[in-house]
Amino acid sequence: MINPFRKGILFGTIISIVGTAFCVSAIFILMVAFITAADTRKDFARDMDELLDTVESTASVACFVEDKQLAAELVSGLLKNRVVSRVVVQTADKELARGERAGSYRADATPEPMVQAVSRKIMSPFSKDKVICEIRMEPDTREANRLVWENIYFTVSLLALQLFLVAAAVVLIVLYFVVRPIRALSNNLHSIDAAAGEKLLSPKEHQGNEIARLTDDINNLTGILVDALQNEHQLRTQQEINEQKYHSIFDNAGSGIFIADVGGHISSFNRSFVLLTHFPVDEHGQSPKLAHAPWRDHERLMEAIRVCVETGANQSVDLKLDTEEPCWLNVILTDSGNDQVQGVVSDITQAKQSETTALQMAVTDKLTGFSNRLGLERYLPDAIRHRHGEPLAMMLVDIKGFKQINGSMGMSAGDTVLKVVSSRLKGCLKNTDWLARLGGDEFAVVLHGVSTQAAAESVAIRIIGAFRQPIEIDETSIASGCDIGIAFYPTDGADLPSLLRSAEFALSYAKTTASKDFQFFMPEMVVTAEQHRKLETELHQSIQRDELRLFYQPIIDLQEGRIVGAEALVRWQHPTRGLVPPDAFIPLAEETDFICNIGLWVLETACRQLAAWQAAGQQLYLSVNVSARQIPDALPPELILEMLKRHGLSADALALEITEGVLLSDIAKGVSWLKELRDAGFRVYMDDFGTGYSSLSYLKRFPIDVVKVDKSFIRDMDEETNDRVLVQAIIAMAEALGLQVVAEGVENECQISLLRQMGCRYGQGYYFSKPIPANEFDLLKQKGIYLPSPKFSCLT
Amino acid sequence: MLRRYFLVCCFAAIPAIAAAADDIVVIVSQKTAVNKMSRDEVINIFLGRNRQLPSGVTALPLDLPSTSPEREQFYSRLTGKSMSEINAYWARLIFSGRASPPSMVHSQEEAMQMVADNRSAMGYVARSKVAPSVKIIFELHPE
Repeated sequence: MINPFRKGILFGTIISIVGTAFCVSAIFILMVAFITAADTRKDFARDMDELLDTVESTASVACFVEDKQLAAELVSGLLKNRVVSRVVVQTADKELARGERAGSYRADATPEPMVQAVSRKIMSPFSKDKVICEIRMEPDTREANRLVWENIYFTVSLLALQLFLVAAAVVLIVLYFVVRPIRALSNNLHSIDAAAGEKLLSPKEHQGNEIARLTDDINNLTGILVDALQNEHQLRTQQEINEQKYHSIFDNAGSGIFIADVGGHISSFNRSFVLLTHFPVDEHGQSPKLAHAPWRDHERLMEAIRVCVETGANQSVDLKLDTEEPCWLNVILTDSGNDQVQGVVSDITQAKQSETTALQMAVTDKLTGFSNRLGLERYLPDAIRHRHGEPLAMMLVDIKGFKQINGSMGMSAGDTVLKVVSSRLKGCLKNTDWLARLGGDEFAVVLHGVSTQAAAESVAIRIIGAFRQPIEIDETSIASGCDIGIAFYPTDGADLPSLLRSAEFALSYAKTTASKDFQFFMPEMVVTAEQHRKLETELHQSIQRDELRLFYQPIIDLQEGRIVGAEALVRWQHPTRGLVPPDAFIPLAEETDFICNIGLWVLETACRQLAAWQAAGQQLYLSVNVSARQIPDALPPELILEMLKRHGLSADALALEITEGVLLSDIAKGVSWLKELRDAGFRVYMDDFGTGYSSLSYLKRFPIDVVKVDKSFIRDMDEETNDRVLVQAIIAMAEALGLQVVAEGVENECQISLLRQMGCRYGQGYYFSKPIPANEFDLLKQKGIYLPSPKFSCLT
Repeated sequence: MLRRYFLVCCFAAIPAIAAAADDIVVIVSQKTAVNKMSRDEVINIFLGRNRQLPSGVTALPLDLPSTSPEREQFYSRLTGKSMSEINAYWARLIFSGRASPPSMVHSQEEAMQMVADNRSAMGYVARSKVAPSVKIIFELHPE
């Protein structure tokens, strides 16, 4: 170990000062020695010169008179000086005097004379420019050298002493002013306890100087350091508390927490993480990886981690676990820097299940359990995509008369019908086909891979067959049917809306076509529909434009052969199409409430005609068709009465024709309406009897006056025995119930003959007259009706 | 008459002025073979450097009394030194005895007499005192 003194400032200072002093001294001493030597020599020479000066005048005299004695005196006088070794007085031609000092050294004896010999030319005392002799004086070189050296020694010693004293003084000063206070400070510093707030005291002698300031600085610094240490300590304590707190939160959190890197290596995870993810706790000491958990789609998680690290944005992924119980986990990833993410795992199985259920609910028809319209919208685009645009057939199936079933038998019956037909419908389909209830009684069927009409048709026929099977509801058997519109993907529509629209066209076409229950979509249907819409618009303007006409088909008393009344039938005189038949516009009007307007117009016109006939003395009645839509609110009995009153008519002049169907929607209301009419004195005709859903019980329940047998029965009665029997039965039954009978569609004498035989009193049909305008009717009335002879019989 | 008187007065004043302004001449006997001497030769003889004439005859210089103004003028004009300096000079030489100062006469007339009588003698006088029995060999004019 190095002696501490040797490392101290004092030692260093001494060494530096002594070293510096030594070097400086050496240089100075050398310089001084040289200077001193030179000075001494100069002094020596000057001394010698001065010596000569003192003797010059005497020498001048001695030489002038060549006085050897005087010269010798002079020489010996000079030789008394210790520095002079030899003196010679020489005149021009002889040596006047010479003297040497015994034991002296001269230049010729020493190799390096430090002082040169001095000679002086002596002038004549009476002539200042005449040299009379020369004095040569040689120095004692040893003496001269001694003198030089003596001077050097003296000067050098003085200088050396001076430097030594200065160095010593500096050392002492440093010791006193620097080293001692520092050592004292150092000792104090060792002995104090700064943490306890003790302060360093500056040495008494150094109050107010740099040492005191240094002490203050040290104290300040110590204060700052102590404060900083205390803060640090507090922070660390707080941090430890926080860490413990967080650790406990981390450990006991209900959510799974983990920290993982981009490679999926987990550096930290908690208990809940293990429980939630079914994480296999590793026995082999392998580093845990996220991949060890039984994710169903592990790659999504890794992708999310990668995105999170790259973008720094939080990521949320829902992942399913491959476990026995279905388990869904939500993982929220937060970038925690250093290519690491924090993940929070929570169990969202319940939420997922309810979400799935809700989704399922949203796309499912509650009643039938099949898909609904939304379900179809979800399904079809996916299906088309998955099957790479494979062709398919879209069928729209509509239950015939469902509205009537709903109305007559109640909503629950309607629901039952829907359930039954939907399951039948499903039974007609392959497993890969898709069934959806679009709403009401409309179903959509998707037949995958069906691209030909033949294939679609076989399925359609199967479905129609299934629908025709009677349905048992509350011990009542209902026979139904369906209309089907078929469109093909991709020819009739490249997406679901257009495909549905095409099928819709086909369906509405099928609905209006009685002969065929299914229709394939054809582009013309769009045109037809367009025309249809145009027609509808024009129809709405028909009354305003006075385009409607009322035609009259006479009703004949078959017994008496006279016209008793007429059925008022509306016709549309279209400005460009000509006369539009009722089939072409009445259903159109019935689709909207415009039929009510037409009904009122018909009534008004009929009343006017009746009034005209009455004025002409004709006793005729008119029967007017009433649409289902008009019953009961659009045509209250008071309105009709008011109208008759206005024209001065009585109630028996007007008959109201209803079909069986019109009453089905709300039987109770329909019956009360009928009763009111009949109480008011109107007669009620049951039109088209025998078609539709009518049962004989209706005849009893509905208060009517006349039954009009449908022309379909009359048309073939002369050839079809069954029809004849039916007509006979209807007539017999009506008779029994006290109802009159009108046969519609009478076209030949044979039919008249038969009807007469059966006891049918009235008839109408082309045999007598087609519906004709009022003026023609008047002509016909005048002309009269020809009836075949009562004896005529066409039966063989 | 007045004019003569003025001249007489002037002449009367001459002796005093003449004593101061008159030439000092170095004289030797008419019998001496030397006719002319240089200043250095005169100095050498009168200040003891040597006592021989150029003719080889030993010279005997004569000095006027120390109170004589001619003596002072002589040395002053010859060497440019004052009498006290000349005296100091002699004091140094007398000690060794190698040289001696010139012999003293009492007056210029005595000097004239001794020079005229002695072939070796050599003296100095004011020019006005010169008699035909001596020869002037060197002249010192007033400065």
